[in-house]
Amino acid sequence: MRLTKTMRWTALAACTALAISACSTSGGKSATDQASGGSGKKGGSISVELGEPQHGLVPQNTAESEGSEVLNALFSGLVEYDNDTSVPKLRVAESIESPDATTWTIKLKDGYTFHNGEKVTAKSFVDAWNYGANQDNAQEALPFFDKILGSDELAPGKGKTPATKELKGLKVVDDKTFTVTLKAPFSQFKTMLGYNAFFPLPAAFFTDPKAFDDAPIGNGPFQIDGKWEHNKQIKVKRYENFPAAEGKAKLDTVTFKIYEKLETAYNDLRADTIQITDKLPVSAMATVASEFGDRYIYKPESGVGYIGFPIATNPAFANADVRKAISMAIDRESITKTIFSGTRKPADDFISPIIPGYRKGALGDVAKYDPAKAKALFTQAGGLPGNTMEIGYNADGGHKEWIEAVGNQLKANLGVEVTYKPFEKFGAILTALGDKQYSGAFRMAWSMDYPSAENYLRPIFSKIAIDNGSNYGGYVNEEFEALLAKADSAKTDEESLKLYQQADDVLIKDVPYIPIYTYMSSAAYTKTVKNVKVNAQGQMDLANVELA
Amino acid sequence: MGRYVVRRIIQAIPVILGATFLIYALVFLLPGDPITALAGEKRADPTVVAVLQERYHLNDPFFVQYWYYLSHLFTGDFGEDYRGNAVVDVMSAAFPYTINLALTALGIEMAVGVTAGVAAALKRGRFIDNVVMISTLMVISIPVFVIGFVLQLVLGVKLKTDYGFDFFPVSFNEEAGFRSYLMPAYVLASTSLAYVARLTRASLIEVMRADYVRTAVAKGLSPFRVVVRHGLRNALIPIVTFLGMDLGGLMGGAVITEGIFNIPGVGHQLFQSVYLRERTIVVGIVSALVLVYLFANLVVDLLYAVLDPRIRYE
Repeated sequence: MRLTKTMRWTALAACTALAISACSTSGGKSATDQASGGSGKKGGSISVELGEPQHGLVPQNTAESEGSEVLNALFSGLVEYDNDTSVPKLRVAESIESPDATTWTIKLKDGYTFHNGEKVTAKSFVDAWNYGANQDNAQEALPFFDKILGSDELAPGKGKTPATKELKGLKVVDDKTFTVTLKAPFSQFKTMLGYNAFFPLPAAFFTDPKAFDDAPIGNGPFQIDGKWEHNKQIKVKRYENFPAAEGKAKLDTVTFKIYEKLETAYNDLRADTIQITDKLPVSAMATVASEFGDRYIYKPESGVGYIGFPIATNPAFANADVRKAISMAIDRESITKTIFSGTRKPADDFISPIIPGYRKGALGDVAKYDPAKAKALFTQAGGLPGNTMEIGYNADGGHKEWIEAVGNQLKANLGVEVTYKPFEKFGAILTALGDKQYSGAFRMAWSMDYPSAENYLRPIFSKIAIDNGSNYGGYVNEEFEALLAKADSAKTDEESLKLYQQADDVLIKDVPYIPIYTYMSSAAYTKTVKNVKVNAQGQMDLANVELA
Repeated sequence: MGRYVVRRIIQAIPVILGATFLIYALVFLLPGDPITALAGEKRADPTVVAVLQERYHLNDPFFVQYWYYLSHLFTGDFGEDYRGNAVVDVMSAAFPYTINLALTALGIEMAVGVTAGVAAALKRGRFIDNVVMISTLMVISIPVFVIGFVLQLVLGVKLKTDYGFDFFPVSFNEEAGFRSYLMPAYVLASTSLAYVARLTRASLIEVMRADYVRTAVAKGLSPFRVVVRHGLRNALIPIVTFLGMDLGGLMGGAVITEGIFNIPGVGHQLFQSVYLRERTIVVGIVSALVLVYLFANLVVDLLYAVLDPRIRYE
């Protein structure tokens, strides 16, 4: 009899919760829609977790996860990525083709309109990209356009003004067609196009860019409902004229509720005030699986965590064998288990497990924990001067524990004296490294912009990434550069992938950074919703979410 | 009295100016560039950084930058943050929440704190006194965020999921209105509340020993009249001082509470702005808080005369 009593209470609580969430989020509208739903239930309103976006909601000015989460609901790009495989699928584009990976012809599908009724044309894309590529507009996504011919004229650099407003490489052929000419062949260009920097902009944007910040006009499954209420919420509603049946939003409205603390959001999720969160606080990790069961999503996401070395500025770390020895002296398994309670997985390739081209165990010996071998290699390579090593980390992101664990393992296994240098935040490490004021090892992380193996290689380890990307170590290897260039101009996907993997092998030999772990994305949702999926970028696919 | 008020207001001007200068200098001295702070975990493009630094005069020396700020301030322009939002808008969006929260907290503090203090003082050494003394000691010794998270979990989550009783929202919720403020205001008030109770108790015990109270009792006044009119009125002076100071403290100290309960108020904004090195917002908010502080102090000083007619201004 005890069971029935519990069940009764649970039922009562669930009913109350349902009733409350129904009337508190949508003024009762959801109830009627829900009833008239039929197959593939339509309608209803939910709230989801969000952090305050850093910039106005302009796709070309958003490089962080919170803003792009909202943009993903409001905009549709030329391509979008499959939730499970991360493979790009055509969305607004009818076709994206190139004979030589340099000149690309993009044809658009019929029927896509902006939320103000304006048609999505070739010009909508070309204008948006020209705007993003112009340094006077100071858009965050500026570097994404530097592959396109003429980008140097729009971004000539500090203290100079662009002479033109149009990228030489962009040509509108007709309403439905435009061509893109790149500076050099780049086989991954199509894959890149799902990133929000390449979203289109309506004519209305250019007449009043400031108004767009809080109330963007997109072409996606949802349109903004009112305005972004800073630090409070962003409400969106279904865009009825979205042309594609697949990809059309099912819910009536979604409220992005803005939180400062993940703990608070998690408590709101437990109380069913919000229905989905794609970020969980560390404190929830111990209980979330038992509390949410199969409504807890736990899968690899795009981030990789490294220990980096300033190879170019500190000769102590210049020897690859020293770096390899350090790598072998780190017990990734125990760090991910004990410190991250399984919210990270040991890294075994420079390429993330969710990306086509990842090879399980590619790092081989480099990532295998072997203290004895590590010590032998370390001594043989000459060790570190003064037998000391410093590791820098940012103190604001919960990195102290694992960095100190790594330090302790290095002390025990290699006998080096390890000291730590906390920086206030990640940006401070980057600035110190950029200004060459810091020469110790450092904590580093990377998460992809678009799901291509290339995105785990060039932006972090290539020559051009020293000035413009995340190559903070100053690593340079001509063989690596040559392989990247060859892969860029490959005719087929298979061929390019093979060449990128060869470039990856060069990194595995050189170990410029030590990959330690890959991030896992953890999301949870309440009983009141279903079809919740999180993509490789850790974003919710809100268009497909339905009320349960 | 009028002249006294005017003089106090004029005195406030250098205080405000000094405060903006100090805060501006402090935020200026914080390491880290505001433009790269905006980019978060990724590296900002050097060209974009250069353009924005130029736009916001970030490469100029400190005094030049401060002068830009101040000259705008004199024309009533608080400037904009590095994302292009007007500081006035940011502040006017945040302040109402914090004012509501702080006033609710102050109300709880006064009602509960003074009542508990009076009860404890009148029943000194008895059960009720012990309860007040022990419970206030506990509240003082538990950190605010612990009280906050425990209450949130118990009243916000457990009560709703286990018993279907949905009165206290877990986080701030516009539709719930005043209910949204109760739990956070109590958390915010908790420490001061304990101090108020203890202060009231001590002060009232002191006053109740005074000759005029003995006289009042001897005259045969009702105990209520003796306690409220003769005892409490005189005992209130240190309490009013404390409460006045505390209003400023409550508004500034809301960082933790607003964070836990996700109230989009000043504390929340201030925390973010310091983190992002948004000088203009930090200076704007802090100056406004200094104003509140000065004003509350003025009110406290004026209240003395109401409580004790022997106090004169001039």
